[in-house]
Amino acid sequence: MKISRIGAWLTLVIVAVFYIVPMLAMARFAFQRIPVIKLSLGNVFQKWTIQPLLDQFGSPDFQRAATLSIMLAIATALVTIVLLLPTMAFAHLGSPRTRRFIEISAVLPFVVPAIALVVGFAGAFRDTLPILIRSSFGLVPLYVITALPFTHRTLESGLATLDLRTLVNASRSLGASWWRTIAFVIAPNMRASIATASFLAFTVVLGEFTIASLLLKNTLPLYLSYAQGGNPQGAFALGIVLVVITTVFVAMSNRFGKKVHT
Amino acid sequence: MAGSSKRRARHLVFLPYVAFLAIFLGWPGLYVFRSAFAKGTAERSPMIEAVTGQFRGSFIFSLQLSFVSAFIGSLIGALVAIAVVRLDTVRGLRSTVVGYSAVAANMGGIPLAFAFLAAFGMQGLATRLLREINIDIIGWGFRISDFWGIVLVYLYFQIPLMTLVLVPALDGLRRTWAEAAQSLGASSLQYWRLVALPILAPALLGGLLLLVANAFAAYATAFALSSGGSRLVPVQIRFFLQGDTITGKTNLGYALAAWMVIVTGLLVTGFQLLMRRAERWRR
Repeated sequence: MKISRIGAWLTLVIVAVFYIVPMLAMARFAFQRIPVIKLSLGNVFQKWTIQPLLDQFGSPDFQRAATLSIMLAIATALVTIVLLLPTMAFAHLGSPRTRRFIEISAVLPFVVPAIALVVGFAGAFRDTLPILIRSSFGLVPLYVITALPFTHRTLESGLATLDLRTLVNASRSLGASWWRTIAFVIAPNMRASIATASFLAFTVVLGEFTIASLLLKNTLPLYLSYAQGGNPQGAFALGIVLVVITTVFVAMSNRFGKKVHT
Repeated sequence: MAGSSKRRARHLVFLPYVAFLAIFLGWPGLYVFRSAFAKGTAERSPMIEAVTGQFRGSFIFSLQLSFVSAFIGSLIGALVAIAVVRLDTVRGLRSTVVGYSAVAANMGGIPLAFAFLAAFGMQGLATRLLREINIDIIGWGFRISDFWGIVLVYLYFQIPLMTLVLVPALDGLRRTWAEAAQSLGASSLQYWRLVALPILAPALLGGLLLLVANAFAAYATAFALSSGGSRLVPVQIRFFLQGDTITGKTNLGYALAAWMVIVTGLLVTGFQLLMRRAERWRR
């Protein structure tokens, strides 16, 4: 037993090193102005600067890309909630068969890889509704689809903990319409899962590269990929920022997710 | 009469969702398959051309990469899951590992490629540190944009994904089963081989399929590692179908995409079926 405990610790430590080293290396490359070749024990703590990051923040191209990504993230979260919440609430009130149907349909996006989805999207809408391809906000429906398996699961576990029928009956018998019931009774009771689903949608949008790249939209990940060529230090610094933001979003959705279950 | 029209009205509630999926998922999917089977002026159907001609190598490369990274990721991810469950008495350890696993499983794309370039690239920090202890990975021919380099990068999200799948399955192993086996004279090895492993098998296999699908669909990381020139299937698709360029062989691009959907579809279906089987022990 003792030996296996040591083995367990050893496994975790080795894997932790594997998780940490690349992030440390990226941070060092971004924020320390010493080439790896010249790095020694003597100068490990010298010449650290966050100037590359500040330069990026000041660049208009970056600002445009960041604004676009943030707006896409918010739009994606909004469309997701408005589309899913009423649908799933009704499914919960209805037959188990409808619930099952929604559940299966929500996993479908896993089956279609992003690259296949985007080329199909471009082909299907190029002649019929070209505005969807030209406008940057044409990305929103694709991102809603990409995030669907995650957002659906979150809202599903939130709805499962509610006594939905009682809430709806109470609200309806007091004269509220269906839409009032959803907006002012169900949604407030689902705060935690709505927040979790939104964070997951943000994570998907801020990290997505394939779709934006094939439709030639300059989102943050695309900007990073272009900047890598001209200004690797600045690009890597932004890479760290994205990693930190992703970590915070996932951690927050974990925390809110736990609240849903208790 | 009134009842049936009311029921019909109820079904109308699902219309926006169903229409959204049909328009933005169903239609693009159908478009891919319709184009993939359209023969046009070519001699052979693009679907056949896509897996027999020059792109056969791409599929083999993509699948090899997916399976190898999934196997290694499953093995290490399983070890991590077992370690976490074994050290359950250590406070905070489990939530830390599972929490970071959720983060790392979502990592990917461009930032992950940057991190590994900075660590294991020619001028990488880890490359340099390893050289200090006389391990010259560059001298051995290791390149971060090559097959084994991409495998190493993919492990960053493959390992934690397996851990996330397996920790709940390990929780399903009742302590009493181990005690029962022990009291009947089974060794620890016998317990694992004859009791634990058969129960865990669906989750393990399902997790493996999920990891394969996960790597197979990945694109951004490999793209950033190799500055665009890579043999992966998604990169080939991009070559045919990017932006508005018409290469005259667009249907071949759609055929490659259609094959990707078929492969991922099979993997994801297998995963779902196996996970439903794995759930049985958790009730």
